[in-house]
Amino acid sequence: MLAGFILILAPQQWTNKFQFAFIRIFRWPLKIGSEISLASPTQQQFSDSSDQTIIRYENHIANLEQSLEQANQKINQLSGLRNRFPLLKGAKLETADISTVTISDTQAELIINRGTDEGLMSNQFVIANNSIIGTITEVSNRLARVKLFTDKSSNIAVKLGKSEVKRVMRGIGNNSAKILNLQTKHKVETGDRVFACKKPGLLDVPMIIGIVTQCKRDDQQPSVWDITVQPACDITKIDSVTVIIMNP
Amino acid sequence: MRWYRFAVLVLIATILQAGFLSNFSIKPDLLLIFLVFFAVYSNTSEAIISSFTIGFAADLIGPAMGPQTISFGLFGTALAYLHRVIAIRKMPYQALAIFITSILAGTLAYLLNLIKSEPNPAITYSDIFKTAFYSGIVGPFLFLPSAWWMRIKTTRFRRNRVTR
Repeated sequence: MLAGFILILAPQQWTNKFQFAFIRIFRWPLKIGSEISLASPTQQQFSDSSDQTIIRYENHIANLEQSLEQANQKINQLSGLRNRFPLLKGAKLETADISTVTISDTQAELIINRGTDEGLMSNQFVIANNSIIGTITEVSNRLARVKLFTDKSSNIAVKLGKSEVKRVMRGIGNNSAKILNLQTKHKVETGDRVFACKKPGLLDVPMIIGIVTQCKRDDQQPSVWDITVQPACDITKIDSVTVIIMNP
Repeated sequence: MRWYRFAVLVLIATILQAGFLSNFSIKPDLLLIFLVFFAVYSNTSEAIISSFTIGFAADLIGPAMGPQTISFGLFGTALAYLHRVIAIRKMPYQALAIFITSILAGTLAYLLNLIKSEPNPAITYSDIFKTAFYSGIVGPFLFLPSAWWMRIKTTRFRRNRVTR
């Protein structure tokens, strides 16, 4: 009991070492177990690897379109002054392998094999197949925990592709998230792209994060949309991710 | 108690829970099932030690360290003492014990997570209820293979029927 209270009261960065040590020691059986369960048909959303490639390119095109749009806006704002859009210019992109994947009703997170030794810190954005999938929440020397944006405790600022209105997107589990408090006066359709907003020091350019899969009037508040968003890539099939380190 | 076998059993359950079962939306809590198993089939002191150990294992794969060590330890101890008064031998009673223990331990761990200042913990009350329900259904069926592995005789406390 005393040990339990010591663990509760001790700083999280110390107690995390136990969890990361367990994951490091048993990474092979954990990975095999995750892969077996993720291979079940109920979890599959995309059919094969060619689909993955198409999705990767579609997301890349979406990011480029968004970059172009933002660049055009700046050009207009600065009275024709040409301004090159700095798409992740100067940022370090750290590629990491996934040790374990947990995607369920209650949790949506990854453990990756990079840590503070490679310059990783909390709140840094993580991308896969050219789309943002989540942020780093905890880091040890050689491992990091990535909370996916579909996790129930995740809140992330986003904007819809067609409008400039920004809202908070909250994870709801089951590989989905909801955009909150968006009035019905804004036009939203199924298939619209959702972009993570810029965050100084962490993300200098909006990047695609998901796609609207359902849009209907909220049952309790008819003046706002009930928007469901799913990731722009199939998270269950990715092998590696990239961490954006804006100020290496 | 064969502690070596206990360690292997808990380790396998922890790895299964964190690996294979982690991606299922509907899943039982294997560690909690074994908590009830040891509370029912061990003596009180062994049940208390195993409760805290299983709680620690649950923390290793949980959102934070500490909450489940306390909640599992506390309710495992309570169940072990309760078992001295009420025998939990039949499968429906075992299922009920797993269900109630799961709800209580899950709720306490949820509240302790708030003390740990975990922002907006992902687990909600409906998740706790669902996990308890599925654990209650699956749990009693795992008792027999677990008893075989632990070399525990499940019938050793059964009263002999008097025949005339």
